[in-house]
Amino acid sequence: MAATKKTNTELVFNGILLENPIFRLALSMCPAVGLTTSIKNGLLLGSAVLFVQIFSSCTIAAIKNYIHPRIRIPTYTLTIATWVTVIDLVLAAYVPGAYKEMGIFVKLIVAFAIITMRLEAFACKNSVSASFWDGIGMGIGFLFGMVSIGFVRELLGAGTILGYDVLGFKPLLFFILPAAGFFCVGIMMAFFNYIEVVFNRRKERKQ
Amino acid sequence: MKEITRITIGLTLSCFFAALIMGAVFVVTDKPKKQNEHQHVQETMLGLLGYGSQKPAPQELKFYPVYRYIIEEKGTTYLGYMVPVKSADRETYELLMLTLEGSLVQRFPLKISPEHAVAVSERQNALKEVLPAPKTFAYQDQTVIARLGDKRVAYLLPGEFTGFKTFIRVMLALDPQFEIIGLEIMEHEEDPGLGAEIKQNYFKNQFKNKSFDRLKSLTVVKDPLPDDYRRYLDAADTINAGELETIRNQYRDKDIYALTGATISSRAVTNGTKNMVKRFAYRIKILDEVIAGKQIPALI
Repeated sequence: MAATKKTNTELVFNGILLENPIFRLALSMCPAVGLTTSIKNGLLLGSAVLFVQIFSSCTIAAIKNYIHPRIRIPTYTLTIATWVTVIDLVLAAYVPGAYKEMGIFVKLIVAFAIITMRLEAFACKNSVSASFWDGIGMGIGFLFGMVSIGFVRELLGAGTILGYDVLGFKPLLFFILPAAGFFCVGIMMAFFNYIEVVFNRRKERKQ
Repeated sequence: MKEITRITIGLTLSCFFAALIMGAVFVVTDKPKKQNEHQHVQETMLGLLGYGSQKPAPQELKFYPVYRYIIEEKGTTYLGYMVPVKSADRETYELLMLTLEGSLVQRFPLKISPEHAVAVSERQNALKEVLPAPKTFAYQDQTVIARLGDKRVAYLLPGEFTGFKTFIRVMLALDPQFEIIGLEIMEHEEDPGLGAEIKQNYFKNQFKNKSFDRLKSLTVVKDPLPDDYRRYLDAADTINAGELETIRNQYRDKDIYALTGATISSRAVTNGTKNMVKRFAYRIKILDEVIAGKQIPALI
């Protein structure tokens, strides 16, 4: 793949909808299944990923010419691990309030497929600025995916939204359990595919 | 051969740079990070005793930490308590070396101020001076004794036990009769939405007001949490005083209601708390007897 020809807006939009990491690329399913029991969890993990993705993408795009092709994956992991550590330490030192909430999520990020995948598929072939926008798009796309799964699971499992009781009872406790994450992701993926099919059909009819 | 050299050099260099960056960040952030943690612990301790931003703690309230060590010498094990003492009008520390049965072997005055004793390395250095090889020592735990003037008002016990997944770190506040004043979960890695609920008021506040005798036989029951009790646990300040008293007395001697879908975590916290209090009560009695018997000018 040669360098991308997309504009910055297209890159961001691409990450959020057309190539949404969770619903379209099916990357990073572990956190999408395991940690999305509430909107808040999704929001915290999503924003942590957003930052790490942007920083790692830019770093790899900047040093891509110096990486020996056979050790690129270890280098990516090393880059992500470095950024995760840096963010973890900085948060702990200067934003203790946010760290108390986000700490456990930040440490998990090193192993996320989405970040490594974007470095491999995009950042190592494109300029720093394009990678920055791609990082933002993918990060927000992931955040969006996490929050929407969290919304469904929190509403159905606990009857709350963002911790506020809206239903007054718990419809399906099953949705809080990890296994239900699979059902939830599956159903939402189908929903997104369905929207795409309908969208494309309309487009064809118009032409 | 040429390629393998390039790969090796490449990997080594990237690791070196990564290490350099992480090291630099660590050096810069280490101090504020430790300060934050220390402050967080202090705030938690005050919070457990009922003080906060709305109700500031009185000036006379002071925390005195006691550090417990295990000392080994020629195959014999001793207990070492680093106890804050008053000597020549200054606050300092003294190490009391006890046999496992609880009789005093030796007293060692330490050259360390209370401010410095907070740091692990400073304590290590001070102890090394009085306990030269072949004596070895290992840190076990600490207890904070809260005094209001010269009256003991509470014990604060930081502790750690196994949860459903990894360790659960807690802070426990006891009154001088070992009745639980409060329990706070400091750190845990239980499942969000399930075991992580141990952090919620409606679980951790169930431990409040459990007496030492009741605690010895405390277990977890899988009954649903009654509504009025839950309201009391979640927001006691919204209930009027008379009703509050009734609910408190009604549930005072009840067992712990398990969290839905997280019985193992609930049981872990209950048993962990039980063991912490039982062990502590045993130890502090021995320590108190030694201090009273030998008339040590201890500040606890």
